[in-house]
Amino acid sequence: MNKGFRLVVERYSTRLYWHIRRLVILHEDADDALQNTFVSAWRNISNFRSESSLYTWLYAIATNEALTQINKRTRNSAVSIDDLGSWFANSTEGSTWFDGDEAQIKLQNAIIQLPEKQRIVFNLKYYDDMTYEDMSKVLKTSVGALKASYHHAVKKIEKLLSGI
Amino acid sequence: MKNSDKIPEGNPFKVPENYFEEMNSRIISSTVENQDGNKKQGFYVMLRPFLAIAASVAVLAILSYTGIKLFSPRNESLSLSGIPVEEYSETILNEIDLLTLEENAVMTGMPGLGPIIDKKDIIDYLLLENIDINEIQEQL
Repeated sequence: MNKGFRLVVERYSTRLYWHIRRLVILHEDADDALQNTFVSAWRNISNFRSESSLYTWLYAIATNEALTQINKRTRNSAVSIDDLGSWFANSTEGSTWFDGDEAQIKLQNAIIQLPEKQRIVFNLKYYDDMTYEDMSKVLKTSVGALKASYHHAVKKIEKLLSGI
Repeated sequence: MKNSDKIPEGNPFKVPENYFEEMNSRIISSTVENQDGNKKQGFYVMLRPFLAIAASVAVLAILSYTGIKLFSPRNESLSLSGIPVEEYSETILNEIDLLTLEENAVMTGMPGLGPIIDKKDIIDYLLLENIDINEIQEQL
């Protein structure tokens, strides 16, 4: 089992890192959340029976760990949902681990202002190109609701980007 | 899935150099490799009650033995339990002065050495046997 888990780490760690990173923004938070993701997966690895569910199972754990990290960060820094945009600007401005141009900064600023569920759906679809069926297993939401959520997210982002 | 031309592509986030290699090593060490340490610890944790019981029994046995040795009355026969009978008899006989034992036996009238006979009775007995009185006087 140990060798198998090593392969799982090598195969999924990078993808999961980027998924987490897009949600938590800061590299340090993503690093912590990713570590917690695999520790949690390791402790519960015996629950697995099929390779097909491993991918969505790991994404579900990673998503939960990312949200936990966000809650921890906002609680510690007393950042409200309304201030997320400015918090993002402050966090990325001058950050060593953010190298986006102005358009990218605007996009990330728009994404972070989406409702939590829409933000996750947008990231999984837009960046990870995850199918709605797999996304449904990750988020325990119907495919129809996910499609609607993604549609709304895209419209909001386009509106935010075009308004600048 | 890029279904909007208005949304820019690309990844603006960066990571430290060699981050993913080091990250994988850290994850492995905190999960797979850490399990071995937990297993060893678990083994000793599992054994701990049995070790405690064994230690308690050992201490109880030592205290019981010490108590018996200290407070029980001395019994000589106990100390002879490991000595062969022949060796013991020989030791005892070597320590006895046979001459002293015979004298004591005569003085205390022990049955094995016969009755005590007076000198006068012996003379009367010898006279009855027609032995000459002069010869008797010489012998006594």
